[in-house]
Amino acid sequence: MADDEGVRRRDVLKGLGVTGAVAGIVAKTVSPGIDEAQAQPAAQPHGHTMARNGQAADAFRFFTPPEAAVVVALVDTLIPKDDVGPGGVEVGVPMFIDRELAGAYGRGARMYLDGPFGEGTPQQGYQLPLPPADLYRVGIADLNAWCFKTRGGKIFDQLSVADRTMALKAVEAGEAEFAQVPARIFFSMLLQNTMEGYFADSMYGGNRNNAVWKMIGFPGAIGMYGDVIEKYRNKQYDVAPKSIQDLS
Amino acid sequence: MATKLKSADIVIVGLGWTGGILAKELAETGLSIVVLERGAPRDTNPDFMYPSVHDELRYAQRHELMQNVSRETLTFRNNASQTALPMRQLGSFLPGEGVGGARCTLERCDLALATVGP
Repeated sequence: MADDEGVRRRDVLKGLGVTGAVAGIVAKTVSPGIDEAQAQPAAQPHGHTMARNGQAADAFRFFTPPEAAVVVALVDTLIPKDDVGPGGVEVGVPMFIDRELAGAYGRGARMYLDGPFGEGTPQQGYQLPLPPADLYRVGIADLNAWCFKTRGGKIFDQLSVADRTMALKAVEAGEAEFAQVPARIFFSMLLQNTMEGYFADSMYGGNRNNAVWKMIGFPGAIGMYGDVIEKYRNKQYDVAPKSIQDLS
Repeated sequence: MATKLKSADIVIVGLGWTGGILAKELAETGLSIVVLERGAPRDTNPDFMYPSVHDELRYAQRHELMQNVSRETLTFRNNASQTALPMRQLGSFLPGEGVGGARCTLERCDLALATVGP
């Protein structure tokens, strides 16, 4: 892999009208001054609990602190806390995305990432040569560079809540001009992973305390109802949801 | 380097419900039969154990019982004016893998029917 792979992917990206990105390498700063904008300390969404090895159990593994701050802001924009239910950040969605990207999913372990490459139709699905981890790394850099350029020198997590929403709508619509990867593709993966983290079993880091399952009335991983059929006949099955670990 | 195996009268590709019944019927004729499967062996315990089998992220989203397209995939296009491209992740249809057939997935059953055929 290494060099050949990097060079080949770079060529492919160029061929797709995607410039400047090198798979697996953090994208270079695009605008002057953005380094300082990114150098602010990252938001810590939750208190630190120290694991036995002395490393924070809830420390981000994949995202750098500035990237983590952006992801926290993105998730909070997609699923804010409201009257309906908990926000994505408080139930751990940024941590879920981080763990997914740090593992097999992030490497694209179950994705076909060789050629031939082409733009493809929407029906042909994802066609970039980048595994999810690389798409996030490059996409976050693109997002910040675009915000910096069009939002008065501010990167995404420095925007007001209202401005974040407006910016993200432009990203979703593909109107935001990203330098390296298509904005719409980045948005679509971000939204997908955000929903996964919000609704998936809590063992993956999101849906903390089954809070999201409580909100939607999903009983969880329970698979045997034989002994409660009589009790709940014609009544709402209103029980505390159980995660896989609750049942193991 | 190809390994040449002992020849058999019948080779059945895919031991799902269909392939399994064919194999049983043909075995009664006295013919020698080889059945091919792809993927790892799977069993009720531990592969389909409760509650871990209810892991929707792992199975419904990441498709862990289905074909791993990082090793082998297929290309497709919707009509002849388009250029066929590889499926980079599973989407609208889900070819399975692993020993066992439609019991594992309905999609697998379709695959077994398609490969054994009428």
